[in-house]
Amino acid sequence: MANGDCALDICFASPPSEDLSRCIIGIRQSIQKRDFPGLVDLIPAYQCLTITFDPLTCDRRLLTQQLIELAQGVIESPPRLSRKPRTISIPVCYEEVFAPDMHTVSEYTKLSREEIIALHTHPPYLVHMLGFSPGFLYLGGLDPQLHCPRKHTPRLRISAGAVGIGGSQTGVYPQATPGGWQIIGQTPISLFHPASDTPCIAEPLDIVKFHPVDITQFEAIRQSYPRAKYREKR
Amino acid sequence: MSICFTRAGLQTSVQDCGRPGLMHYGIPPGGAADPLAMTLANLILGNVTNNPVIEITLTGPRIEFACDISIAITGARFKVTLNGNAVNNFETIQIQRGDTLDFAQLISGARAYIGFSGKMVVPELLGSVSTHLISHFGGHRYGAIKAGDTIDFCNIRTAKTVRLAPQFHLHYTPHPQFRVVSGPDKLLFDNDTVEQFYHTTYTVSAQSNRMGIRLHPPSTSSPPARNERVFEQMVSSGLYPGSIQIPPDTEPIIAFVEGQTIGGYPRIAHVIKADRHRLGQLKAHDKISFHPVGLAQATRILREKYQRLSELQQSLATDSKVSLML
Repeated sequence: MANGDCALDICFASPPSEDLSRCIIGIRQSIQKRDFPGLVDLIPAYQCLTITFDPLTCDRRLLTQQLIELAQGVIESPPRLSRKPRTISIPVCYEEVFAPDMHTVSEYTKLSREEIIALHTHPPYLVHMLGFSPGFLYLGGLDPQLHCPRKHTPRLRISAGAVGIGGSQTGVYPQATPGGWQIIGQTPISLFHPASDTPCIAEPLDIVKFHPVDITQFEAIRQSYPRAKYREKR
Repeated sequence: MSICFTRAGLQTSVQDCGRPGLMHYGIPPGGAADPLAMTLANLILGNVTNNPVIEITLTGPRIEFACDISIAITGARFKVTLNGNAVNNFETIQIQRGDTLDFAQLISGARAYIGFSGKMVVPELLGSVSTHLISHFGGHRYGAIKAGDTIDFCNIRTAKTVRLAPQFHLHYTPHPQFRVVSGPDKLLFDNDTVEQFYHTTYTVSAQSNRMGIRLHPPSTSSPPARNERVFEQMVSSGLYPGSIQIPPDTEPIIAFVEGQTIGGYPRIAHVIKADRHRLGQLKAHDKISFHPVGLAQATRILREKYQRLSELQQSLATDSKVSLML
């Protein structure tokens, strides 16, 4: 399906799932291997892979046909993914100073702060995709008891490292940006390192686990974290 | 071998062609908001088209030069003086050590570009020196230039004097029309909403920035009834510069150079690549409208634009033809 004059979307009707994300990442990998001329970006999402291209060097019709064939091939015989998923542990301080919406989540879910922390740090979360802002991870696997509506009016600025819940999703804001999720904690580590060849701490299909730290540990990790300065506005 | 910004201007930053190919990390391409104006600045100076430039937004800087260098100013028209004497856009300006360049009143457009016959000494991050203003990385110290900042240059040469023929000058109107192709979610809107979109003159909001250009419909128009079905059927997917989303308040947002890479509002249309550079010249209160074209037509318009640019490039590269430009 055309997405503007410089992109095509390969979309799936099935609901977001780990299998669907594997399929989408498999297609992305196969496209990368084929090295189509004129391709610019491959953006995986929950149910869709967006392929942006230069319309001057890429023939849209030919590309569409080639991509449909390639996608069908991947669906019929999924390729082995070229890298093993990693498990990334992210420390989170859930103490009051970093958790302006903890009481809102507590009231909505009828759970205590301790229960929320236990439920939030328990599951392994699947990274479905990265997007919105540099290094932002879309995580799947939030315990249904913690599903919680977004704020009616998004905050104009939330801290870099803020950990939030939005609907059935949870995640970490890598930069100080506007945001509409309920903020329940903050991580002292930086999720985005533009000076690195691998600028983001995780890729799709990696596993993320949150573990709780207190303020002393939070400060110690922040002090020792080499690239933390990138999280701060100068 | 440096230049000093004795006044910074509203939002002055180092830009180049940005960082394409990293959207799977959530990193939008960024780069010059008006890449065509940036390209022209570099072509005038005989540079590679990706040589870093200074992007100036709405209010310009005052720059003191501690080196001899050639520059060219393109894009938005400001009243610009060099040591108090007026200088023009679209021509080589020869600068001597000790000169002061001052940007005064904005006349048309929103963003001007200064190209230099030398290379800025700015660290490259992820293959580009462009400043990502929204996420604070890249460029000169990860942000907009501040008063008192100095930028060093290397490989400075003197560019020959070129004045671009008037047919290659870029002009900006406060009532531009943008050509668009249908967006991937167009079918989620009813026909009336789509019709209304193409017949509305929108006002550019003061909330616009390099992430997104927000538009207000006229206060007299009644907003179309919210179609709940549209929002129920949406799952976040890929966005790129030019995508026009309609959020529940029905005020369109055009994703721009530092826009989000994934979005969840339905995309009604998409500004074609050939017109995208003009988005960089929009400012608050400009009135804009949209005109639908087909996909094949969009590519044809783009091809024509590149053809003209390549003719210009060839003529600038040949001495005999350059004289015709003077």
